[in-house]
Amino acid sequence: MKVIKAIYNFIVGDMVILVGVTLAVIVLALINNIAVLAPLKSFSGPFLVIAVLGSLVATLSREAFSFHR
Amino acid sequence: MQWVVATASFLASAVEFVEAFTIVLVIGVTVNWRSALLGALAAAATLALLVATLGTALVQWVPIDVLRLVIGILLLLFGLKWLKNAILRYAGLKARHDEEAIYEQTRTELRARGETDASSSRFDLFGFLLSYKSVLLEGLEVAFIVITFGVSAATSTVSRSSGIASSAFGALLAGLLVILVGALVRVPLAKVPENTLKYVVGIMLTTFGTFWTGEAFSVEWPLSDAFLLILATIYLCAAFLLIAWLKRVKAGAIANQPVPASAQTQEVNP
Repeated sequence: MKVIKAIYNFIVGDMVILVGVTLAVIVLALINNIAVLAPLKSFSGPFLVIAVLGSLVATLSREAFSFHR
Repeated sequence: MQWVVATASFLASAVEFVEAFTIVLVIGVTVNWRSALLGALAAAATLALLVATLGTALVQWVPIDVLRLVIGILLLLFGLKWLKNAILRYAGLKARHDEEAIYEQTRTELRARGETDASSSRFDLFGFLLSYKSVLLEGLEVAFIVITFGVSAATSTVSRSSGIASSAFGALLAGLLVILVGALVRVPLAKVPENTLKYVVGIMLTTFGTFWTGEAFSVEWPLSDAFLLILATIYLCAAFLLIAWLKRVKAGAIANQPVPASAQTQEVNP
């Protein structure tokens, strides 16, 4: 458990960023592999950039909110 | 030589080398130089072994698309963490990473343990282990940066080994520069604007991470590799806006804090 926590802290250390990036990758994998979603492939790039910015805004909002309290 | 990769690796590694150097310096000054340098050398040897084993395995056995995806995600996670911390520091919501403070804190801790006989050349296990642990941890981050940047830079025309060589060159240059500057000035390198460096590196890691994750999912970026500059500009602008917003949030929170009772009395009865 200690080792897993150390690796988690070393690589990311932030649950909001981890969840945001994981969700973005799952959505991209779905778009890339499911035929019905193939028309959305051209939006993959903008989606990824928006998802990254969204994760950053979300984690900073959490910090700002905790400071506000 | 891939200069973009070498520069990115240089900047990212410089931050880690400064941190490691500060700890080794304080152990050298406070415990003794023999234990500090032996610990640092042992950590460097461990790192060389790790990189030689893992680096070669990665280069030879793992398909490039799988590597791009894993490394892209890792760079995104790493880059967003650095960028978040740098933004919070610029906005004043987090204390700036201060090498001078780390130097003084470690020195005080060592003094509290009675480790002050720096003139002694006796091998000290505590000093050795502290130096080893610090250099190994910071060095692991450098190794991670070198391998990820190097491997992901591989294209149809550039081999992975060449990418790793460019990346390692950047890191080596950063290490030598930090040691040289540190040896010359003999201070904990507090003058290096570490937060600015971390901010720039956070933008770079996030940019490369987004680009390579996209490539792993067959995203065709407009203008090909030149889109990296556009991505970096987008993240830079977003970071500026976020800093301005967080500064406003902080100012609002301070303004809304209740005034202490004594101050209120003073206002009523001046």
